[in-house]
Amino acid sequence: MCFLLLVAGQAWTQAVDADKAKVTLALATEPPTLNSAVATDTIASFILAHLMEGLLVYGPDGELAPGVALRWQLDADGAHFWLRDDARWSDGKPVTAHDFVFAWRHALNPKTASQYAFIFYPIKNAEAVNEGKLAPSELGVRAISDTELKVEFGSPCPYFLSLTAFMTFLPLREDVLAQWGGRYAADADKLTVNGPYLLTKWVHGAHLQLRKNPQYWHSASVRINEIDMPYITADPSSQFNLFRDQQIAMAPLDTGLLNEAVKRGFDIEYFHTGSLYFLEFNFREGRITANRAFRKAVQRLIDPAVLVNKIIGLPGIQPAYSLFPVTVKGLKRSFREEYPVLRVDPDIAAARAYIRKAKAELGISEIPPLMLLAGDSPRALQEAEYYQYLFKNGLGIELRIDQQVFKQRLEKMRRGDFDLVSAAWGPDYDDIMTFADLFASWNDNNRGRYNNALYDRWIRVAQNSNDPRTRFNAMAQIQRIVVDDVPILPTYENGALYVQNPRLRGVRRNIFGGDPLFRYAWIER
Amino acid sequence: MAMSVFRFARRTWASADLEQIAPVPLPKMATPAVVLSSLVVVALLLFVSIGPLVWGQDPSQQWLSQISAGPSGPHSVRLIRDNGPWQPPVSEPPQSLVVHDANTEFVRLQWPQIEGVRRYRIYRASAHKAGLGLAIAETDKAYYQDQLQLSYQIYRYTIADADSGLLLLAREVRPEAAISLFEAQLQGLVPVGKSGRQAKWLEMPGHPLGTDALGRDILARLMAGGRTSLFVGVVAPLLYISFGCIFGAIAGLAGGWVDQVAMRFVDFVVALPFLLFMILFRVAFGIGPGENGIMPLIVAMLMLSWPGSARLIRGQVLALRGQAFVEAAKLAGVSTSRVILRHMLPNVLPMILVAFSFAIPQAIFTEAFLSFIGMGVSPPTTSWGALCNDGIKTLLSHPRQLLLPALFISVSVLAFNLLGDALRDATDRRAGVAKA
Repeated sequence: MCFLLLVAGQAWTQAVDADKAKVTLALATEPPTLNSAVATDTIASFILAHLMEGLLVYGPDGELAPGVALRWQLDADGAHFWLRDDARWSDGKPVTAHDFVFAWRHALNPKTASQYAFIFYPIKNAEAVNEGKLAPSELGVRAISDTELKVEFGSPCPYFLSLTAFMTFLPLREDVLAQWGGRYAADADKLTVNGPYLLTKWVHGAHLQLRKNPQYWHSASVRINEIDMPYITADPSSQFNLFRDQQIAMAPLDTGLLNEAVKRGFDIEYFHTGSLYFLEFNFREGRITANRAFRKAVQRLIDPAVLVNKIIGLPGIQPAYSLFPVTVKGLKRSFREEYPVLRVDPDIAAARAYIRKAKAELGISEIPPLMLLAGDSPRALQEAEYYQYLFKNGLGIELRIDQQVFKQRLEKMRRGDFDLVSAAWGPDYDDIMTFADLFASWNDNNRGRYNNALYDRWIRVAQNSNDPRTRFNAMAQIQRIVVDDVPILPTYENGALYVQNPRLRGVRRNIFGGDPLFRYAWIER
Repeated sequence: MAMSVFRFARRTWASADLEQIAPVPLPKMATPAVVLSSLVVVALLLFVSIGPLVWGQDPSQQWLSQISAGPSGPHSVRLIRDNGPWQPPVSEPPQSLVVHDANTEFVRLQWPQIEGVRRYRIYRASAHKAGLGLAIAETDKAYYQDQLQLSYQIYRYTIADADSGLLLLAREVRPEAAISLFEAQLQGLVPVGKSGRQAKWLEMPGHPLGTDALGRDILARLMAGGRTSLFVGVVAPLLYISFGCIFGAIAGLAGGWVDQVAMRFVDFVVALPFLLFMILFRVAFGIGPGENGIMPLIVAMLMLSWPGSARLIRGQVLALRGQAFVEAAKLAGVSTSRVILRHMLPNVLPMILVAFSFAIPQAIFTEAFLSFIGMGVSPPTTSWGALCNDGIKTLLSHPRQLLLPALFISVSVLAFNLLGDALRDATDRRAGVAKA
């Protein structure tokens, strides 16, 4: 009995420990890499946000705040950063402007093969460097001194400041990278960091541990001493059970867990992840989905509100009608408040009329079975089965479901091996362009190969302008084209539901710059 | 003492002794277990064959207005035409929390603007449960339209100050059963395209076992799923046991090097991993994604599961070949085919039957397992295994969706196993002797 009590007592203190200022969490998966130049996933982004610090960072209210850069100046043709001189790497060496220059050149080096190289493209010569046409030294970024960094733009980039908080823009140490080569950041001892936390333990597939970095210039403001992640599981039920047993301080919730959490009286929190889920059509030669009347029929058939309220049924997830989620910023308020989107009402009669039109235009009497490429999560399957039923009953079209794991789905999307695909896009930087240029004809992530000269023209207009009003007017045109021509059919804006230990306060749920962020968190006694 | 001259004479059996031993009692076929399991098997077969005709509901029909609903009888619902965005009528603000309209498509609430409150948080709970329930939304306006998976039950809505957590207003609401015009058209309850005179109320069918997470009738799905499961469960063993028997019989009868080669081939097939080959067959058959995996499943079972029965039959045939009555028949000049037909087959047949009845539950289970991991049937076709896979997602909130198909798998596997056991007992004479 004594032993049992002891164990229980210990378990109670494990989720959050106020004395040691320690938080215990579970990770969904292990980060594939912690090398900021090549990392692409959200887990790496979360860990790196704690280990590293860029020129700018996201502050406690989600605003851009000084990081390594003390002050800055943004012009139409470039940016100038003055770095603080007390920023240190974890081995005591100062963080200099050269570390940034090296990191950016390294990420753009074709040999690095960074998937996020395109994010540097507003910088002068970045695209040419990435394609190997120019030497990395030609990149429009220069260290004037150890504490001064100058960036030249190739095209206007009014959102450059938010880019500098993105993980691919983090500094790298040339000597450390040279020492470890391809094994850089593959283990806890193979990287040097400059952020609020140190990676003190990394048992692959099992355990990660972060401890406060004493070398960090503002380490006095970091109130959580240790972030322990001794569980790695992607199963929400396991995470929920760990939370229920007071083993971890936060856990995501899924449809099936929601009622259980309510029953136990947990406070359920949610936040808008800023990502958009949509159905993408294939515009390649010979695909039925390239026909506009067909896409209009699908638009009149699938009502995002029904999908969200009936099928998904989670609070915090919103029906989407526009390419731009409500979190996208406009001139002063949300873009969607300033430029409301036209909502298309579902109408089966209209949808059937469009299908008749599509059949006449294509010269076929029956629409052949179509392939819907979907993810392998339970929610994705449920959504796919709902579409399957809608297509069958509403339009008399057979829809086949091709369920694939993430990597395979991405590969099939790249090859164009689908008719429709349920895809999603999370914003990379805090600007409307991260969504808008997705369906420009030159974008690699435009998996359906949508090609619309008008769409491309409005993107060019926005890209070549520094005037916010011109840019947002162009974006309103893009929003109109998406409703009118249906290159994609937005379905929902994702929200994440989670439970959190009530003693853990100040955890920031971020759309950008690492989520969740414990940099400003504390534990209440 | 003189010894009896009959000391070594054979003991004569008393008739009482003979009665004890001579008639080896055959185990009775009609034991309660056999009767019960046969009845269950017949009931299951009727359930999946006649059931859908009697019940008549489409197993893939999704009743969007009845997602994850409990058991219900036929009822009528109101037809709702407008369920778009809503704003309260511009008039005097209400004095308390008022309900403008409440049905299972939407609940429209309005409350007085309270000074000092920047944002309201709306909680919804089942009225007969304690606690605030689920925070369904936050808004800065003094009204809200709730459309989130409403079901036919009494709710308690609580309005709180989102910043301070202070509870402001609460009210119980009983929504009226309803269906949207869009859904009614989709289900074919209302003709498409004709506006004007439409019925205000519609009759909805009942769901005695409730509906699943997509509003599909669970009873209809159990029937449809059972069809797949039992089809695989009977056809696959029938094929591979037949093949195994023929293979084993040839090896046993031929003997010599043919037997040796055949048995080494059996060893080789036994070593092949089933799951891996199942996946390979799917690829080799060109079964595209989204197509049914039943045929490759059956073929894979046929190609990989036969060695067991082949070994069994071969051993039996070898043993029989050495038996006196077979040798006698051969010496008497009876043709080989007649020996097989007259002497071998009757002795082997019970074993085949037993092997078959044990193979059925195994096949049902294999299909369930493969469908559960997503290698079997693909939607909209379903099977008991696929139903379990669907149900496990809602295990905590709606355990029925997993437990019902799991129960059917268990009952059918148990019934076939009991039947197999009873058949074995009935045909095994040595077992009968041991018991006597």
